Formats: sequence, structure tokens, C-alpha cells
Amino acid sequence: MNMQIPENRKISPFFAFILIYANQIGIGILTFQRLISKEAGYDAWISVLMTGVCAHFIVWMIVKMLGTVEGDILSVHEFVFGKWAAKIAGIVFIIYLGLGMITVLRSYIEIVQVWMFPRLQTFWFALVFLFLVLYVVTGGFRVLTGMAFISSVLSVYVFFIFLFALPYANFANLLPILDHSFTDLLKGSRTMAFSFTGFELILFYYPFLKKPEKVQKWAQLAIAVCTVLYLYLTVITFAYFPEAQIQKNIWPSLTIWKIIEMPFLERFEYIGVATWCLVILPNVCIPLWAASRLAKHVFSIRQRTAVPVFALLCLIAVSMISTRKQINFLASITGTMGFYIDFVYLPLIFLATLLAKKVKKSGPSS
Amino acid sequence: MKLGWKRKKQIMGEDLKEILEKSEDFQAVSYQNKKTKTRFTLFYITSLVDERILHEIALPKLLNGDFKKLGDAKKILPLAEVDISRNKNEIEQKLFNGAVLLTVEGEKGVCCFFSAQKENVRNISLPEIEFSVLGPKETFVESLKQNLNLIRKRIPVKELIVEEIIVGRYSKTRVAILYIEGLTNEENVNTVRQRVEGIEYDEITDSSYVMQLISDNTNSPFPQMLDTERPDRVAAALTEGKVVLLVDGSPHAVIAPTTLVEFFNSYEDYLLDWILASFIRFIRFFAIAFSVLATPAYVAILSYHYQLIPVDLLNTLVASRRMIPFPPVLEAFFLEITIELLREAGARLPTKVGQTIGIVGGIVIGTASVEAGLTSNVLLIIVALSALASFTTPVYRIGNTIRLLRFPFLIFAELWGLLGIVVCLCFVTTHLLRLTSLGRPYLEPIYPPRLHDLKEAFVRPPLSTLRERPQYLRTKKPARFSRKAAKEKKDIDE
Repeated sequence: MNMQIPENRKISPFFAFILIYANQIGIGILTFQRLISKEAGYDAWISVLMTGVCAHFIVWMIVKMLGTVEGDILSVHEFVFGKWAAKIAGIVFIIYLGLGMITVLRSYIEIVQVWMFPRLQTFWFALVFLFLVLYVVTGGFRVLTGMAFISSVLSVYVFFIFLFALPYANFANLLPILDHSFTDLLKGSRTMAFSFTGFELILFYYPFLKKPEKVQKWAQLAIAVCTVLYLYLTVITFAYFPEAQIQKNIWPSLTIWKIIEMPFLERFEYIGVATWCLVILPNVCIPLWAASRLAKHVFSIRQRTAVPVFALLCLIAVSMISTRKQINFLASITGTMGFYIDFVYLPLIFLATLLAKKVKKSGPSS
Repeated sequence: MKLGWKRKKQIMGEDLKEILEKSEDFQAVSYQNKKTKTRFTLFYITSLVDERILHEIALPKLLNGDFKKLGDAKKILPLAEVDISRNKNEIEQKLFNGAVLLTVEGEKGVCCFFSAQKENVRNISLPEIEFSVLGPKETFVESLKQNLNLIRKRIPVKELIVEEIIVGRYSKTRVAILYIEGLTNEENVNTVRQRVEGIEYDEITDSSYVMQLISDNTNSPFPQMLDTERPDRVAAALTEGKVVLLVDGSPHAVIAPTTLVEFFNSYEDYLLDWILASFIRFIRFFAIAFSVLATPAYVAILSYHYQLIPVDLLNTLVASRRMIPFPPVLEAFFLEITIELLREAGARLPTKVGQTIGIVGGIVIGTASVEAGLTSNVLLIIVALSALASFTTPVYRIGNTIRLLRFPFLIFAELWGLLGIVVCLCFVTTHLLRLTSLGRPYLEPIYPPRLHDLKEAFVRPPLSTLRERPQYLRTKKPARFSRKAAKEKKDIDE
């Protein structure tokens, strides 16, 4: 597939870091502590580490694979399986990205409804938010990256806010270490992987990065930073909540914010939830961009047409989902799909690419 | 002395002559040289020509000098601009730029012209819009010639290039493009040249017209080019590697490309020592954020999130709002619009009356509305402070933008509280990300992040550390001075 991106549309490899980071940090970070502790108890921080290490390997494979074919995921599929398989795989990825977008947006609206505005109408907020997303995405990839960058920078302060929980923290909660079986830890890291998906989007924007040889370094750094952040939140949350109590909190991070007090400010969760709007913006924009770009190649339509169509579909889907159960169901589908794509399918296709490369190399000579 | 039909037709062509005849200030006078008996005629527009130059300098020479044919005029006239031409368009253009045309009997279709332009130049005055306590106190005037003089005096090098393009169907405005060759990125110069040449408009009154016509995105409240009345600022911009536009008849130069943060940097920052200047710059950024966000935050918190406020502070707020019959957003709109009215009225009235209006309006209306129980005094403080804060912007244009920006934030704050403010912030950020100035990103150095430029954006580092020119300008000489030479001069006992 011809993947010539004009030089002035490309961005420096440093933004691989920003884009991966912006995509990893999203809704999951507000809620993952309960889910992982369900599986692995308070040893779950080990699961976080395990998932992080796995992610390092997989990102390494992805970047290696993309470097081999010098293109995006479509080029990979075309390289390995041919044109038609690439199209089918493209459709699967579009569905996955669409589900991801819908999950993020709907989960965020749910948080707003629970924590800030019980009567916020899903449709109206989604409408305005998707207008914002359209405004970002139609600006092109550079604007998209800029938004990811600014949202990452502006929201960094939130992680320092968690330090306010330290006076109430009891690190003895984490003891004894390793009182869960290895199977439990593995289950925990599988759950963790649901929150950890997002790095796979490099499959779509890789051709837009300058100096491909430097992408690996930044991508690995992004995974490392995210792992450390997740670990930091896990440890603080586990130290703050007794193990029995955390099971009763769907959003442990938000509950921690509630105790923060400053001379001019209380109840930080209002500010936190509002800030999270900025955080999830790239989580919706990047998949929308990626999906529309895929659609451009799979269905041969203009990206400018695909973007509003997908946004409209997303709007319809988001306003149809209303109960906690449905949201949970959607989140688990997306999580499972993400898990299998990232941690099972991508390593396989990596091996297939290596194989195909060998075959193609030896092909002409034999 | 009226001339016959034929003579005029020879020189200027039928249509031009006919049209000129209709104007009262068009003159055609014939004379005869006393020595050589050559008969010659002068054509000019009286309102454009300096009679003193014509009658005291030019005419005596033409009447008494050794004047036989048209070519002799160049020798005998003690004026700088004397030329001979056959081109009808050129003749017409010169005539309306205050030149006097000279024809000699017997030489058909050729004429000589000399410039005797009457210049009404205002005196150079003190800066009013960009006043600074320290530093030079001269400003541009309406004459292009005078403005170029002010800049040339500051950058007396041959590399300073002044290109001229004439735009405007009727106004024939002279637009000068200034840059330093070998320093300014040619791409920027080409873009400016191309856009100025592409201007299709009937009348260009001011540099603001040019600015609006060549901006990257005309549907934006954010100015994408900087205009200034200070020659020193222009000189600084030129040596930084920017392109400057001067428009005849406008006392403002336009600087491009530019970035958002530059609008918040006062030229005076560079005249103070760096610690003070950085402090002031910091205050200014805080003031701007306050000015945009304070009232919306008040509306958001009092309408939706009163839990955010600690109890003691909340008591004060509630006490001030107890008797107010309106929701916070109406209260805020009422006060904001009052302030805007005062500002607009103050700007339209003569200075002395304007001051009175400000005091009367500010004090009387404010106090009265609080006493009448229409607004709370806390909000009055916030609105007055944010109005004050918006005046700290060193560039007039961006101050107006800040004024406007507050209103969408207010509406969003009323809609969804803090969440609304964040959504609105996202819209504004996206808009800024999409903007460019001459194709260069407007939000630089924040995005794309450039550490080197970032250093200069929010603080004002010492001059000795400002070794490199801004990176986004892509200058051909990135370094301002040689570090080695600077180091050697600073050695002990040197």
C-alpha cells in the first residue's frame, strides 16, 4: 500500500511518547484498582508490573513490525495476507476503535452523571463533545497531536493531587506480599490489560512519525511512564482503602479526591471530573481519526466524509446506552476485544510478518 | 494660459486629458525660456504640488538656464527625482504622486517629470497605545517616507531590504515589505509578497486592512499579525528575522509571523532587568487567565458547585448574595455588559470626558447596583478586577480578544459549570492549535514544544542567554552573537 505522507504533515518521534501516554491514561485509571484487586487482592500491584512488562514487549514487536513494512497496520496485513485480508482486518479494527470511542465517552458521561450532574442529558453533552472532537480531528493529525500534548500537560497536576491521600495512607495494607497464587496474579494482569490497551494505536499513526528509528525509544518510555503511574496509583489506593472497602468503590480514584482540602477549596472531585474531560478528549479523537483513516483505505471514501459519519454513529450509540449494566457490558466487550488484539493477535501477526519477510527475501533467490 | 486641443492630446492621450479637464486643480501653463527661446509647458495638480519647489527652485532654472531640449532639464534642475518617460501609465501615476510634467514644443510623446510633492507630515509624537516609561519615545506617523526613515536610522545596513507593492484599485496605496536579507527566511518573505500582491480591494485605508486581508484565518478573533506604532519594536522584530509591512498613510507597522505568547510580551520587558521583567511577565499571564476565567468560575461555582468552597468562605459569599433576586449568570452578564459599555463609551469620547465617564460609571453604577441589591459586591470585585486584568495586555488587539473570550466561557459555565468551562477551554485550545501565522504554528512554543523558545515565552531571561533567534522563524542565521567572542570579552581584567 502506498503510504507516502507529506513531510509537513509528519511530526517528530517525541510525539509517539505523547500519543501513547495520552491514549493509555483515560477512563481506566479512575476505576482499575477495584477490578484488579478483585482478582489478585492487594498483591495486584504485581499484576500491574507484569502487564507493564508485557506491554513493553508488545510495543517493541509492534514498532519492529511497522518498521519492517514501513507503513501502518493495513500495510502489515497486506504484506502478510494480501489485499482482501487487509480490508477485512481493517473493518475489524474500525469496529474495535468505534467500540473504544463509545465506551470512553459513555463511561465518562456516566461519571459526570454520578459525581457532578445527575440530570445531565447524555445526548446533549455527547453532541457538544463530539462537535469538539470533530473540530479537533478535521484539523488534521498535527492538531490532534497538539491536543493530546496539551491535554497531557494540563492534566499532569492531577497525579500530584493524589499525594494528599498520603497522611491517611497505611502501607501495611499491602502486606503480606505474595499471599495470592500465581494464577490469581495472572488473572489480575489480564484485567489490568483492559485498562492498559491504547498503545496499539501506534499501528495507525506510525507513518506520520519522522525518524522511525527513534520511535522505539519514545514508545518504550511512554509505556514505562504509564506503568509507573498505574503502579503509583495502585499503591496509594491500596494504602488508602482497606481491602474490603475498595470493592464497594467503582471509582476509587474519585473517592480519594473527596478528602482533599485546601484553604480556598474543598471537594476536589468536581475539578478532577471536569479536568478528566480534557484527558478523555484524545481518547476519543485519536480512535476517531484512526478509524476514519482506515475507512479511507478500506472503503475508498474521503476521510473528511468518514469523520462526521463515525461521529454521528458514535452519538447515536452513546445516547442509546443508558444503564450501568449496559455500560459495564460494553466496557467488558471492548476490554476483551482489546486484550485479544493487543496481547494475543499482535504477537502472532508479528511472527507472521517475520516469516513473510523471510519467505519474500528467499523467494527471488531460489 | 489655455492650450490648444492638439498639444494636450500628444502628451497625455485623449481619455486622460478629458478626465483631467474636469478637475479644477489640474493646471497646464506654458512658458518660454529667456535665453534659448524654447517654449515649454508644465502640467500638474495644484493640490499635490509644493508651489515653493515649483516657483522658487524649478521655474527660475527653466526660464533662465541653458534649456534647449527635454534632455537638458535633467542637467539644469537641482532636484533629486528628474526623469524622462514615454509610458502613459507611468506619466499618469507620477502626476498623481505630486510630480510636475514638463513638455517641450517640438518633441512629441515624450515628457520629463520632476517631483515637487507637497508633504504634510505630522510631527513624531509620543507613543500612546504602547507607552513605556523607559526606552525610546518616538512613534510612526502617516507618511511612509518618514516611517522608513525611522527604521533605517535604527538599522543602517545594506541588508535591510525595502520592497514596494502598490495595492488598492482606487487608493493606490504603497505597501512596503521590509526584511533583512541573509537573515529572514525567504519562505516568509515570499508568502507575504504573494499575499500582498494578491490583495484585490478598492481602498486600503490603513495597515489594519492589509493585515485583515492577508491573515491566515480571517474567521478568528485572535490577531495573527502584530501591529505596532513603535519603530524600536519594528527594528527588534526585523533583527529577529521577521517580516515587516509598512503601509503609506498608516501609523502602524505590521509584524509577521507571530505567535500567541508574543502578544503578551511588552517591548518594555526587554528594557527592564531580567528578574523584574520576568516577574511582570508572570503577573501578566496570571492576569489574563484571571480575566478570562474569574467570572465564569464564579457563575459555575455558585450555580452548581458551592460544595467546592470551604464553609467560612461560603458564608461570605452567601451573605453577599442573600438579597440578590437574579441567578448568578444574569448578575454576571449585567455587570460584564456594564463594564463593556463603560469601556466602549470611554473609547469613543474625548479623553477628558472619557475619564469622567469612567469614574462616574465605575463608582456610581457599581455602588448603586450593589446597594439596590441587583448584584453582589463579591461579583463586583471580581468583575472589576478582571476588567483591570484585561488592561494588562500590552497589545491592544489581544486585549479586545480577551474581552470577547469571556462571554462564551460564561455561557458554558452556566450550562455545565466547571465541566462547561473545561469544554470551552478545549474549544479555544483547538482553535488556537488550528491557527497559523504565515503558515507557522500560532501556539508555538507551547505546541509544537520548543524548549529554547519556551524559555523566552514565559520569563524574560538575561540578554546574554538569548543567544538564538526564535526557532519558529527558521532564520538563516540562528545565532544572535558569537558566544566565544562574548566570553573572551568577559574575562578577568580584560
